[in-house]
Amino acid sequence: MSAPHHSGGTGPRPASLHTDALHLPPGHSWHRLPTVGLTLAAVGLGGSLAFGLLGGTEARHQLWHSWLVGSLFVLGISLGALFFVLVQHATQAGWSIVVRRLAENVMGALPYLALLFVPLAVLGLGDLFHWSHPEAVQSDPLLQHKAAYLNVPFFLIRTFASFAIWSVLAVWFSRQSRLQDETGDHEITRRMRRRSAPALILFALTVTFFAFDWLMSLDPHWYSTIFGLYFFAGSVMSFFAVLALVALAAKRQGLLTLVLSDEHQHDVGKLLFAFVAFWAYMAFSQYLLIWYANLPEETSFFAKRMVGTWSIAGTVLALGHFIVPFFFLLPRTIKRNATALRLAALWLLAMHLLDLHWLVMPNLHPAGMAPGLLDALTLIGCCGVFLAAFGGALKRRALVPLRDPRLPESLTFENV
Amino acid sequence: MATSKGMNGTHTESTPPAGLRGQTVETSHGLADDPDFLDPVGHRPPLILGAPSFHDVTEAVARPLERPPTRAWWACLLASLALLGLLGVSIGWLFWEGIGVWGLNNPVGWAFDITNFVFWVGIGHAGTLISAILFLFRQKWRTSINRAAEAMTLFAVMCALIFPGIHVGRPWVAYWMFPIPNQMGMWPQFRSPLMWDVFAVSIYGSVSLLFWYVGLVPDLATIRDRSKGLRRMIFGAFALGWRSSMRHWQHYEKAYLILAGLATPLVLSVHSIVSMDFATSQLPGWHTTIFPPYFVAGAIFSGFAMVVTLMVIMRKAFGLEHIITMKHFDYMAKIMLLTGMMVGYAYGLEFFIAWFSGSAYEVFTFKNRAFGPYAWAYWTMVSCNVFLPQLFWFKKVRSSLVWLFILSIFVNVGMWFERFVIIVTSLHRDFLPSSWFYFRPSLFDVTTMIGAFGLFFTMFCLFVRFVPIVAAAEVKSVLPQAAAHPNEAPEIEPALPGRTDLLPGGAR
Repeated sequence: MSAPHHSGGTGPRPASLHTDALHLPPGHSWHRLPTVGLTLAAVGLGGSLAFGLLGGTEARHQLWHSWLVGSLFVLGISLGALFFVLVQHATQAGWSIVVRRLAENVMGALPYLALLFVPLAVLGLGDLFHWSHPEAVQSDPLLQHKAAYLNVPFFLIRTFASFAIWSVLAVWFSRQSRLQDETGDHEITRRMRRRSAPALILFALTVTFFAFDWLMSLDPHWYSTIFGLYFFAGSVMSFFAVLALVALAAKRQGLLTLVLSDEHQHDVGKLLFAFVAFWAYMAFSQYLLIWYANLPEETSFFAKRMVGTWSIAGTVLALGHFIVPFFFLLPRTIKRNATALRLAALWLLAMHLLDLHWLVMPNLHPAGMAPGLLDALTLIGCCGVFLAAFGGALKRRALVPLRDPRLPESLTFENV
Repeated sequence: MATSKGMNGTHTESTPPAGLRGQTVETSHGLADDPDFLDPVGHRPPLILGAPSFHDVTEAVARPLERPPTRAWWACLLASLALLGLLGVSIGWLFWEGIGVWGLNNPVGWAFDITNFVFWVGIGHAGTLISAILFLFRQKWRTSINRAAEAMTLFAVMCALIFPGIHVGRPWVAYWMFPIPNQMGMWPQFRSPLMWDVFAVSIYGSVSLLFWYVGLVPDLATIRDRSKGLRRMIFGAFALGWRSSMRHWQHYEKAYLILAGLATPLVLSVHSIVSMDFATSQLPGWHTTIFPPYFVAGAIFSGFAMVVTLMVIMRKAFGLEHIITMKHFDYMAKIMLLTGMMVGYAYGLEFFIAWFSGSAYEVFTFKNRAFGPYAWAYWTMVSCNVFLPQLFWFKKVRSSLVWLFILSIFVNVGMWFERFVIIVTSLHRDFLPSSWFYFRPSLFDVTTMIGAFGLFFTMFCLFVRFVPIVAAAEVKSVLPQAAAHPNEAPEIEPALPGRTDLLPGGAR
C-alpha cells in the first residue's frame, strides 16, 4: 500500500496521519488473531461435529441447535457492523470516522460467516425445522398452507440471497474505504453516501426475512410481525458491545491511543445504551401485545418459555438485558470509564447470547434449560471463525480511514 | 472541484452579502446539480446563510413580533377562526343531540373521532423528535425549526385531546377518565389501553409544554429587553428573570438535556400506547405485534409532513429564508422518505404475516382492506404514504419548494387515511356477516374534522404573532462565530498533543 502522505487523488489532501502509528505494528500480538481464531474454530467446530455427529440422534439435534445459536451470535454482531457503517455514510456522520474502520473489519467477517451456515443448510435443516419434513407437512394443514414459503429450495435461495447481498455490501463498502486510504478521493465518500440508502433497504428486508426463516420458523406455527425488528435490535446492540470492547482493547494494546478519545468511547456507549432500550422496546411490545390478546396461536411462544427453568431465563433477560444495564449505562461517567464500559459490554454480550439461546432452545428442550458441552464448543468455534476473519481484516489495512475527508472532524470531536 | 475549498474559511467565500440572503438557494436548481451542493464532503458549511451577525438573527426573529400584524396574517387568522367556529358548532350540536349525529353504525362504533385523535397525536411527534431526539443526535440544523415544530406539537396535542373528550357520549362525566378519588369508589379501568392513553397523552402534553417553555425563556428575555411598557412587563414575567448570565446558561443547558432525555422515551411511548388502543384487541388488522414501532414511524412521518407544510409558508411570510434553508427541507424530505418506507415495510409485513399465519380471519381482513369496499381508501393511503414519497429520492424534488409543499400535503392526507383504513376496514366487516355495514361519514363527522384544523391554525396564527418563532438563542449558537475558536480550522493538534510528526506531510 502506498504511503498515504504522498499526494494523490483530487482535492486538498485531508489531514492524514502518519501510517506507522495507525497500522498494526509488526510483531504486535494482534497479528496472531487469525491463527488464534482458526485454532478455536478448528477445536470448537471440529469437536462439536465429532461429538454431535457420532453421538446419535439426540446429540445431532443438539449439535445443530447449538450451532445455530453460535452462528447467529456472530452473524448478529457482523450485521450490526454493516448497519452501523451504512448509517454513518447515509447520515454523513463525522464523529464516528475513527471507529468506522473497526466496524468495517467486523462486517468484513460476513462472507466468512456464510460458511457457518453451509453445514446448517446441508446437514442441519431436518434436525432444526419441523416444516422441512414432507410427512410432517402432509399431516398439518397449516404447514401445507405455508409450504409456498416454508419449503427447502425457497428457504435455501433466500438464505443464499441474504448472504450474497450482505457480502457484496460488506466487501464493497470496505473496499471503497480502503481505496480512499490510497487516493484520498472525495468522490468515494459521495459514492458511499449515495449507495448507503438503497443498501439500507436491502439490509432491512434481508435481516427481517432471515430472522423469520432461521428463528421464527423453528416453531412454524407461530408468527409475530415485530420479530425481524427484535432480532435486529439485539444484533445491533451486540455489535455496539463488540465495538466498545474492540476499541478499548485496541487502546490497551497501544493502538490508536492518540486517535480514540473518551469522547468516541462515550458515543459508542450511548449507542449501546440506546440499543439496550430499543431491544427492550421491541421485546416488551411483542410480549405485552401477545399476552394481552391471549390468542392461543400466539401465546404458544411464551407458554413454551414459561416452562421450568425457561421462565428463569426470561426473567433474567428482562432484568439483565434491560433493567440493570439501562440504569448502569445511564450516567455519563460510566460510559466514559473504560472498565465500567467494558464490564457492561461483556455483560450485554452474555445477555444477547442468552437471548438467542432462549429463542432457539425451548424448541429442543421443552422441559427446561439444558446447556451443555455442544453449546460451548459451537460457540467457541463460531467465535473463532469470527475472530479469524476480523483479525485478518485488521491486518490488511490501516486501523482508521486515513484519508477520509471528515477524519479531522472526528479526531477533534467533543461531546459538548 | 468544489472541494478545493479548505477546511474552513469557506463561509466567507461562499455566502452572499446580506442583501441577497434567501434568494441564492431559493431558485437555484442549477446548484442542485453540483454534487457538493448542500452537503460538501470536505467541510461543513454554515447552516445559516448570509453570514448574519448575532444581532441580525435577533432582528430577524423579533421583527415579526414587533411590527403590526400584516393583512395576510389577519386573513389567515380570520379563516382559521371561521373553521374554529365550525368546530364549536359541530361540537355544540353533538352535545345537544348526541353521538347519533355522526355516521357511526353498529359494527363501526368508532371512526372519524378516533381517526382524528390518532392523526393529531401523530402530527405532534415530529416536534418532539426535532426538539429532543435530534438534539441527542447533535443535529444542529434542528435549531432553525424546533421552536415552530414544538409549538405545532402542542397545538396538535390540543386538537387530539378534543376527540376522546367528545366521543364519550356523556361529556359531562368526561372527568371520569381521570383517577379522581370519589365516594362511589369508582375508578377507571387501569387495564384498558384507553386509560393508558389518558396518562400518556397528558404527560406528553405537559412535558412538551415544559420543554418548549424552557427553550423559550432566553428568547422571551430578548423580546422583553427590546420592548417597553405593558409588553415589557408581560414578556418580563414569562422570562422568569432571565439575565443571560453564565450561571443561567449552565442551568439552562442542563435542564434542556434532561428534558430532551425525558422527552425521547416519552414520544416513543405515546404513539406506542396509542397503537395499543388497537393492537391489544383480538381484531384482525388491529392485533399485530409490529404496531407500536410502526405507529411511531408513521407519526414522525406525518409530523414532518406537517412541519414542511408550515415551514414553507412561515419562512416566506416572515423572510426567514436564510435561517430555514433548503438544506433543512432536504433533511426533512429525507426523513420523510425514510419514515415513509418504514410504514411501507409495516404495510407489507402485515400482509405477509396475515397470509403466513394461516388464519382465515387475518387473510380475509387484509384482502378486504386492499380489494373490498374501502379499497379506494387503502390505495389512497398506499399511494400517498409509500409511492409518492419515493419522489424524494430525487434531489430536484427535495430542492423544490413546490414539490415539497405538494408532497407534504399528500403525506398528511395519506396518514389521515392510514388511521381511517386501519380503524374502519377492520370494523366494518366483523366476525358476523349479518352485521356488516358500510360506514359513511355524516356532515358533522366532516365538519368536526375540518373544524379541528381551525383550532390548530388559529393557535398557530397566534403563536407566530406573540412568540419568537425561531429559537434565536439556539440559532446563534450554531453560527460560525459562536464556535470557541471561530477562525481556527478543526486541526489535528488537539487530539495529538506534541506529535507534530503525525501532521499532514510529516513534520510541519
